[in-house]
Amino acid sequence: MGFLAPWFLAGLVALGVPVFVHLLRRHRATPRPVSSLMFFERGAQSSTRHRRLRYLLLFALRCALVLLVVLAFANPFVKRTAAELNSRLLLMVLDTSFSMRAGTRFADAKQQALRLLARKPAAQKVEIMGLGGQLDVRTQAINDDTQLRAALESLEPGDGHANFGELGHAIRSLAETVRGPMELHLFSDMQRTAMPANLADAVLPNNVELVLHPVANGAAPGNWTVESVEAPTVLSEPKDPRQSRVRAVVAGFGTPSATKTVSLLVNGKTIATRQVNVPASGRVTVEFAPLDVGYGFNRCEVQIEGRDAFPADDASFFAVRRSDPERVLFVHPADDTRSALYFGSALSAGTKGSFVLQSVTAEQARDLDPSKYAFVVLSDAVMLPPIFERTLRQDVARGGRVLIALGTAAAHHARIPLWDSEVKDARDYARAGGTATVGQVDFSYPALEQAQPGRDNGGWAEVKIFYAAVLEEAGARVAARLADGTPLLLDKQVGEGDVVLLASGLENLTNDLPLHPIFVVFVDRTARYLSGSERLSGSQVVDSFVQLRGVAEPAGAVGSVEVTDPQGHRPLSLSEARTRESFRLERAGFYQIRFANGRDAVIGVNPDRRESDLAAMAQEMQNLWSGSSGSGAPHSAGAEAARVKSRSSSLWWYVMLLLLVVALAEAALASGYLGTQREEA
Amino acid sequence: MQRFLDPNVLAGISSLDLLAKTVVDGFVAGLHRSPDFGFSQEFAEYRPYVPGDDLRHVDWNLFARTERCYLKRYRGETNSQLTVLLDASNSMQYTSGPPTKMDYARYIAASLFYLAIHNQRDAAGLIVFDNEVREYIRPSTRPGQLARLFAGLERAEPQALTDFAKPLKHFQNFLHRRGIVILISDFYEEPETIVRASAPLRFHGNEVVLFHILDPQEVRPVLRGSALLVDLETDRRIEVIPEYAKTTYRTRIDAHIEQLRSRAQTAGMDYQLLLTSQPLDTALREYLSLRQAGN
Repeated sequence: MGFLAPWFLAGLVALGVPVFVHLLRRHRATPRPVSSLMFFERGAQSSTRHRRLRYLLLFALRCALVLLVVLAFANPFVKRTAAELNSRLLLMVLDTSFSMRAGTRFADAKQQALRLLARKPAAQKVEIMGLGGQLDVRTQAINDDTQLRAALESLEPGDGHANFGELGHAIRSLAETVRGPMELHLFSDMQRTAMPANLADAVLPNNVELVLHPVANGAAPGNWTVESVEAPTVLSEPKDPRQSRVRAVVAGFGTPSATKTVSLLVNGKTIATRQVNVPASGRVTVEFAPLDVGYGFNRCEVQIEGRDAFPADDASFFAVRRSDPERVLFVHPADDTRSALYFGSALSAGTKGSFVLQSVTAEQARDLDPSKYAFVVLSDAVMLPPIFERTLRQDVARGGRVLIALGTAAAHHARIPLWDSEVKDARDYARAGGTATVGQVDFSYPALEQAQPGRDNGGWAEVKIFYAAVLEEAGARVAARLADGTPLLLDKQVGEGDVVLLASGLENLTNDLPLHPIFVVFVDRTARYLSGSERLSGSQVVDSFVQLRGVAEPAGAVGSVEVTDPQGHRPLSLSEARTRESFRLERAGFYQIRFANGRDAVIGVNPDRRESDLAAMAQEMQNLWSGSSGSGAPHSAGAEAARVKSRSSSLWWYVMLLLLVVALAEAALASGYLGTQREEA
Repeated sequence: MQRFLDPNVLAGISSLDLLAKTVVDGFVAGLHRSPDFGFSQEFAEYRPYVPGDDLRHVDWNLFARTERCYLKRYRGETNSQLTVLLDASNSMQYTSGPPTKMDYARYIAASLFYLAIHNQRDAAGLIVFDNEVREYIRPSTRPGQLARLFAGLERAEPQALTDFAKPLKHFQNFLHRRGIVILISDFYEEPETIVRASAPLRFHGNEVVLFHILDPQEVRPVLRGSALLVDLETDRRIEVIPEYAKTTYRTRIDAHIEQLRSRAQTAGMDYQLLLTSQPLDTALREYLSLRQAGN
């Protein structure tokens, strides 16, 4: 036991006050004359002794009061031994992100974790976790060394991106259920890119003490990587240079200027090689054109030749599906020719010939089979032949997709085909002498997706809406709204399929959208979303999810899915294949997927390129995060062991509680005595 | 005029003569009677003439009307004899604030003397005692008697112990005529002893009054913490706690007072408890009522 402020112990001289009051002053009582002691008997003597006992108790309480006040200021603490720390839950988190594959980082981290596990008190409970794309809890809080060691040994580096913000979030959630103190030991390369932009996201609760075990000391080694690849997901015309080309960005992190050889591989064969000069810690773009691939799925790869510090990120995977242009059925009223013109032009420009528009009137659509089209567009076609409408409904239930645009005809026909609600109202802004603008846009919606929308609301700010139908939005996702709150773009799942509804038309009579550049982007993204070609090939980032079946359809009602991972394994069990709605792409490489609607896909999966920047976060930042800004260096193993075995624990709160109790007792005893005096008076 | 009876006010008067005059004049004025006429000038009764009576007191007007000879008697002519026995033991010097019990006793005695001699023309005498008779002034109405009595009171300083038996026995030798005997003391003695010692006074036909002088602190003592008490007479010391003074002591002093009152009344004596904080008229009123009862 010690004192954090021992100088306050000088206050113990104040103990002399109660000693003086109770012992010294009492003996100097002056004799008091009385007429006669006739009525004072010897019995008073024993009573005095009884009172003296009470005075001694009061004296003891007052001494204790002074002593405790002094102790509270002196702030006593005890050195708690490891045995006393058994109640602290030890959280061991091993970074299993992609960057841990570099060098001996993961092996070093695992060794440190095993050493800490060997040192811990036998009774202390430990929870093992892996931090990759998400926090992977390997064990519950147990103290069985064999199980814990096995859990640690089983951890392997993955391809995910570690995010300390997600770690903080997970630990904060854990702290809500585990009230006791916890110690979080993080074994990681402490990558700079793993720290969230806002440090508050990574901050841990008060009852969690963070101990960092960085494994990447010194300057980060130089590393080149294929940062991004821009390639068509569907290729219908290999000879078209606008469409048939691959553009890759090669980036260097902490690298000198160097000449690198970059190759394009298709189905394992190198079909093109380029020499590029990569500036120091800079980027360069490499282009391969044309991309000549065969029909079907092609597994493509852009690769940097020549080894560097982190070879695992020297290649980037993507899949290209070669097919003939897909047909799009465009159904419009007989008197409307503008919408087909605008939509067809935008589709041709946006998709670079991947789609061919077939424009028919509602009457002409009677004998057409919607399943032979990539998707169907109903442009203000609210009066469909019943047989076509039924066929279209069946197609949507099986996975077909439809875009409905509501022109002025919708106001006269309350019932919208395929959309199970009616038009509540029609807002004619032009007749009211004004226009409506697009207010809220959900840029995460696939048809409107923009990574960094501009200040002009992603290009939608200038669009003027003259006419819009108002529909019941229940059960639908509203992707865009007008400034007055009227839903503009809605998406509703019907069976395995999707129905996207634009509450205005596709011509320039109900709005001026076709006259804006955003219309081309909108049509392009909508076409890709509705055709499903986006998700059948191309590339994804590790830990992204793939939708295996429509959520509106009862699980297993259509069929089972099939997933083959890059190692050729099937990660889903038979029951999971019939029930799982989504699948997380955990590994880098090519995934082969058969969806519930029977369509096949090959997807190239790449690690998050933030993992390629191997630079560790600054020491100050590490100190700030772990809350030990005073320490200049990370805890060494020996110091950590000493810290674990012995820890100071302040007794201030206990002293204050005891002080309160003694003060209350003293007040009760003293007031009882004073009460007697008052009564006498 | 009531303030002239307040002991706190009287404590500021050093002259017993003036003090007694102040008290008595204040007291009489409170009775709504003119002090100029006095009780002795008041008609009391007619009494048939018997040989030997002074012819100056015959009511000749009545004789002329009825031819019968009657004497006219006045109250002032029913002379009485007042004897004050003053306890001057050490315990009488106790005080919790002015005046002391001794001073209070002096005020009472002086007032009684003034009232008796100046207003009632009674003979008055004084015996000062502790465990011995220290001073004896024979009852008399002679000129200068009041001054002698006041001087005797001035000389009565507390000393020695209290012993009722010896001085009272000695006092019986001086009593030759019936009258009023007032015993002023704090009576720190067993009631039985006090009554036994003073009862013989009653046998001679005297009206005996016990004036029990106590300080308020002696009746309801207040102790702030345990105290070392010293007996003023014996110098004995004892440590007492407030709780005892609050409970047992009060019970015992109350019992003592009640027992003394009861035994005194049983023996045909009057008893009056006088606290030093009380006005003096209580004592004067007691004297006058006894005097009237005796006529």
